[in-house]
Amino acid sequence: MIDGKTVVALLGQPNSGKSTLFNGVTGMKQHVGNWPGKTIEKKEGSFARGGKDYIVTDLPGTYSLSANSDEEVITRDYIASGKADVVCIIADSSQLERSLFMLADYAGIDVPCFLMLNLADVALDQGKQIDADALKKKLSIPVALFSATDKNQYDSFYRCLEEAVKNKTKLETSSLLEEYKKIDGFSDLMSIIPENVMKNYSPMWITAKIAEGDKIVRSKVSFELKEEEKKKYKEIIEKLEKGALYTGQSKFNWIDMLLEGAINKTETKPVFGKFDKAITHKVWGKPLVILVIIGGLLASFIPALPFMGIGTVITMGASALNAALAEGGVHPILNGVITQVLIQSVSYIIQMLGFVFGVTLVFGMLEEIGIMARISYVYDNTMGKLGLQGKSVMPFLISFGCTMGGAAGARVIDNWGQKVLTIALAWSVPCGAAWAIIPMLASNFFGMGAPLIIVIILLVMVLNMFLIAKIFGPSLVKKNDRFGLIMELPPYHKPKWGSLFKYVLGRTKDTFFRVIKVIIPICAIFWFLSYTADGIPESTILYKIGNAIEPVTKVFGLNWKLFTAYVASSVGKEGAVGVLTALYSGTGTIYGAVMGSNAAVDNQAALLLANIAKPEALAFIFAVTFNVPCIVALAATYKETHSGKWTALISLYYTAFSLLLAFIAYHIGLLIW
Amino acid sequence: MKFISTIPAGKEAVIVQIDGDTRFLSRITSIGLTPGCNVKIIKNDKNRPLLVYSRDTMIALNKKESENIKVEEKVS
Repeated sequence: MIDGKTVVALLGQPNSGKSTLFNGVTGMKQHVGNWPGKTIEKKEGSFARGGKDYIVTDLPGTYSLSANSDEEVITRDYIASGKADVVCIIADSSQLERSLFMLADYAGIDVPCFLMLNLADVALDQGKQIDADALKKKLSIPVALFSATDKNQYDSFYRCLEEAVKNKTKLETSSLLEEYKKIDGFSDLMSIIPENVMKNYSPMWITAKIAEGDKIVRSKVSFELKEEEKKKYKEIIEKLEKGALYTGQSKFNWIDMLLEGAINKTETKPVFGKFDKAITHKVWGKPLVILVIIGGLLASFIPALPFMGIGTVITMGASALNAALAEGGVHPILNGVITQVLIQSVSYIIQMLGFVFGVTLVFGMLEEIGIMARISYVYDNTMGKLGLQGKSVMPFLISFGCTMGGAAGARVIDNWGQKVLTIALAWSVPCGAAWAIIPMLASNFFGMGAPLIIVIILLVMVLNMFLIAKIFGPSLVKKNDRFGLIMELPPYHKPKWGSLFKYVLGRTKDTFFRVIKVIIPICAIFWFLSYTADGIPESTILYKIGNAIEPVTKVFGLNWKLFTAYVASSVGKEGAVGVLTALYSGTGTIYGAVMGSNAAVDNQAALLLANIAKPEALAFIFAVTFNVPCIVALAATYKETHSGKWTALISLYYTAFSLLLAFIAYHIGLLIW
Repeated sequence: MKFISTIPAGKEAVIVQIDGDTRFLSRITSIGLTPGCNVKIIKNDKNRPLLVYSRDTMIALNKKESENIKVEEKVS
């Protein structure tokens, strides 16, 4: 109970429909945070029912409650802590036998629970008739069939919940214990387990985990054992070398007993349709995946458009307000802070968020349908070389459009280390803004040599990805976390648009407030550095700093103007050329150039060509392409990784790497020209 | 007894032995593969994970790790 509210935790294997139920019951009333001390997302929501308030905790989706991953340990620790009044275990009726494994693994945890059999409609289509009452009798907890995508069926969920809370219904486990006892040594082991060694776990559960080689449980128990028992304990566990297999068999034997008489048939033929055949095809699978992702990327722009429109309107409003305030005699600094820093960065963020909203919605849908799992299968070998999951190919491709979208897309990667590594690598992919300025700069300075420069950029991109995987990979994805793929390819599910839309909207709102906290201060600092009272770039602080360190930046081929534009490109790449134009032509402001609100300059190309030498231009192209993508991407990275440390490390790496490239490019350039 | 990865697509087999470390054993059982259970090989392509069907579930398995699983091929 929290403040008189009943806490219900949702537990289920991946693809069991846990998230659908969570979104369905909580609607917009949800909050995403972190599990204490961990980088794993914690989703909480609330709802009211029959005059009572409930808090819902969505536990991480795991296949079991062993100690193989942080997610599993968090899940079982949370349940055993008693913070939840009741646990709702969700199983997939269409794969009932396999999906009840979670229930079997839960058996022995002394917390009230009930069982919801989701996807009842799919099971019925397969010709399976499931007798929930028979299961209820055997398990002595509330059991109901339902479909999480149909809110009209939530009554059964509420009924079971109320019954479980009222009667504190606990799972009947004696028949499972009988199964476990068939394992050689199980009974002997159970007899020496000290009382209350782990709160809320029964001796049966503890013994099963010891048999499975669970390191956490083993160390807790062996610490509490009396000297004379230790020898016996060691003898038994030596015999249980493949304990996880034995208990696994016991669990499935128990499940078979449960299902006997409760289901008419358990076997269905595999469904492997045309699309599955195409996307998993030896030759055509990979290109098809790329097409699907590009299609998704384009589709992401549709929901993004309204946001972009709102952003544009605000920018226009900001310019009008700026003029009005200036006329009204408001101090230029105050005017600048209000119209340029606050309003303009908010509009910038809204435009960017539109894309994030689109990406999260479209790829969230592909995940829900089951397509991301197929993508994982197709790219498992390729991405495995970088220590990543096959799914990582998606954020990479999205990053050709927008790095922030790529970071948001990395959400479907369920392992935190792999997610951070994926985002770190995705930064290497030149985004849409880079593609808007780099080819233009390259052809301006190098004419026919431009395609060659683009090819080199792409080669450096791949090289850099391998380099980052080498440098950061080992600490992000620990060696014993680098296991091969064992993953379910779920049957295709119809996406639940309504709840997905609401969920993504809620997430976007959340992102907005987190991102704004990062972006406003950076914009403010950048604005002050580039502020000039008289309109001359030489009177900005940026110039003074740039000028002072010019001897150093010149080593990288960047004079103070180029360096200023380089710094500006880490706020927003599309602004880099604008900043150069503003500095060389003396019109417009640096800040305005970054935010895209400066007026166009006619002779931009000639102006740059006249003022920048070829080696400098080459250095600048590489420095900007591989610089920190933009502050919005930085903020999104912070939001997705939940780690200030890693966001800073990745930014530092890219700053250093881009300057190193500039150095190399400049000196090669000097040799050529 | 054969490695599961040697069974061609379309064939069925029964798992007879699973080896590997604790972590692998626990992961493989929690997704439903245990000794004695029937599997149908759906896809077995070079440089791709193995696709098997068991307990009403389509499962993708890393090729290298799948060598821990030994089966008896069913004659149809």
